Amino acid sequence: MDDILTALAQIFAVSTLLYMLVGSVAGIIAAAIPGFTVTMAIVLTLPLTFTMEPLQGVAVMLSVYVGGLTGGLISAALLGIPGTPSSVATTFDAFPMARKGDPGRALSLGVWASFFGTLISTLFLVVAAPPLAIFAVKLGPWEYFSLIVFALTIVASLVGDSVIRGLLAGLIGLAISTVGADPILGRPRFDFGIEMLETGLPFLVVLIGIFAISQLLSEVENARTVRSGAKLVTDAIDFKTWKVMKEVLMSPVNLIRSSVVGVLIGALPGAGGSISNLVAYDQAKRASKTPEVFGTGTPDGVIASEAGNSATAGGGLIPLIGLGIPGSAVDAILMASLMVHGISVGPRLIIDHGDLVYGMFIAMAVASFMMLIVSVLSMRLFLRVAEVPKWLIVPTVLTCCVVGSFALNNRVTDLYLLGAVGLVGYAMRTLGYSLAPLVLGVILGPIAETNLRRALMTDSDPTQFLTRPISLIFLIAAVLSIAWAIRSHLKTNKMNGVKDAHAS
Amino acid sequence: MSTSDENHSLEAGEIARFLSYVAILAASVALYLSAEHIPSSRFEVLGAAAFPKFVFAAIILIAIIAIIDSLRKISRTAWGQFGGEVLNWLRLRYLVIICFVVFAAYLLLVPILGFSIASFAFVFGLQLILMPRTPLTLLIAVLVALAFSFGLNALFAEFFNVFLPRGDFLNG
Repeated sequence: MDDILTALAQIFAVSTLLYMLVGSVAGIIAAAIPGFTVTMAIVLTLPLTFTMEPLQGVAVMLSVYVGGLTGGLISAALLGIPGTPSSVATTFDAFPMARKGDPGRALSLGVWASFFGTLISTLFLVVAAPPLAIFAVKLGPWEYFSLIVFALTIVASLVGDSVIRGLLAGLIGLAISTVGADPILGRPRFDFGIEMLETGLPFLVVLIGIFAISQLLSEVENARTVRSGAKLVTDAIDFKTWKVMKEVLMSPVNLIRSSVVGVLIGALPGAGGSISNLVAYDQAKRASKTPEVFGTGTPDGVIASEAGNSATAGGGLIPLIGLGIPGSAVDAILMASLMVHGISVGPRLIIDHGDLVYGMFIAMAVASFMMLIVSVLSMRLFLRVAEVPKWLIVPTVLTCCVVGSFALNNRVTDLYLLGAVGLVGYAMRTLGYSLAPLVLGVILGPIAETNLRRALMTDSDPTQFLTRPISLIFLIAAVLSIAWAIRSHLKTNKMNGVKDAHAS
Repeated sequence: MSTSDENHSLEAGEIARFLSYVAILAASVALYLSAEHIPSSRFEVLGAAAFPKFVFAAIILIAIIAIIDSLRKISRTAWGQFGGEVLNWLRLRYLVIICFVVFAAYLLLVPILGFSIASFAFVFGLQLILMPRTPLTLLIAVLVALAFSFGLNALFAEFFNVFLPRGDFLNG
């Protein structure tokens, strides 16, 4: 109870609420800009939280996160361009609805669905995280290692069109994590006499380079689009907020189903909003009595996609709080922000820092209310952000990336690393490698190595990984996950082959 | 783009991926061999080299599978057209190349000119390259460049106590 009261006092402090409000606005604005992902917004927020109290910093980042998950819908609905990967399915129905002259309804539906999706996921988080944490404390290094193996295979099975490149990207991430002193005995590895490499490659610089720089470079691929200053939005926006809220609540099954999909996908390490919005949309369409209206501007499509992507916020925090495993790149940054403050994230987090965990629950709920208020009051204003041209966004965000990378260690050499990693990231993106597995490999690598070595130091018998029931379950799940990925891949190839044959 | 051009482009993409697999394989073999020199420990079964060796062995295995899979997809004629396709690809993405070169120059100039001056030059210069030039956009570009160079520097110094590089140029 003391922990809850302490958390309440910290979250409801005026300064925290103000910072959260700013974070919410920043998240919505950032995600409304095409190409500027929620991950990038969170990455750029991180250095600003260094001087804050740990809970205050995390609360601000959660506000950016929740705001960002909603902000993606602005450009998705009005321009047909997903502001973030998590709003891809939103374009399917919100954009046609806006084009039919109802852009205000499309936006309001998305905002309310996001709000309820976040609240439902917070409820799941409150209920599921503590028992999972208590269960997780009983897990030994064998189970933890097997869990990480499972997490890595899920990443590979969800990376899109190439399982091979997904696996390679994940393994490259693991390889990057081996640079620098080893996590058990501190022996130097692969530093080649370079001082910067002695402590390992700074994770956040790698993250900014891989995600932000490569994304921004890919934004200027089409010279004609960049250099045109044409306005894309001309329709006036009309809001009927309360009417739309009732419309959303009149679809409780769709809302709850999509939120549960979001929570479950968010809880899987490696999966996230970019997948949950599509799965939730797909489930809503399958369950609908009128699936043929999906894609023409039906409210159910908007509700499913937005509730699905917003619910991943709470879902992703379940493994983070319960197991110390980030469910997505955003959760990894949240984890990093706590680590910057010297707080180790893992099963003991809820035991050692109960106030922080309860504070995160409260912050999620507060952030969703802030997102709602900010969105409803300022949607017309945010529309302007979607009009910001790329020629202005690219140089300014690149500068923010430089500041973010430098502020972490105050090292100029990190800037050179940023440029190099950005170029590699762009090359990988262009060649069809998914970047998410790489980043998760970097995060999960040290955890996997530490637990593998710890397990074998405790008992040198490697069959323990197979004879301990929970470890075995995770390893079987890993094998099934790979089998499922290969099967899906072969099925897709076969379908493409049939299509090609028909086409020719 | 005709179907034939599209096929050439797809095959060139596959060759580029093939080359990336070869580069990954070569780097992994080199790093695997380099891991042999990491000292072992008498206190544990696995030393500091075991995990990296395992990871690099896995990369080697998958890279070999990827190479075989890739070779299967590339026709013999595609190799001859690869150079031309690469040049065409680079020509289409000239703005990406310019952006990266300017960004790299900016990163190199930050420690010399300091954050504020280098950032102003970078933000303004890159906007100038990317934007449709009118008096209004030029004015916006100057204001934005000032905000994201001197403004950002002042913000971080005053509010977050983070001091961005001042530069050898100003320090003498």
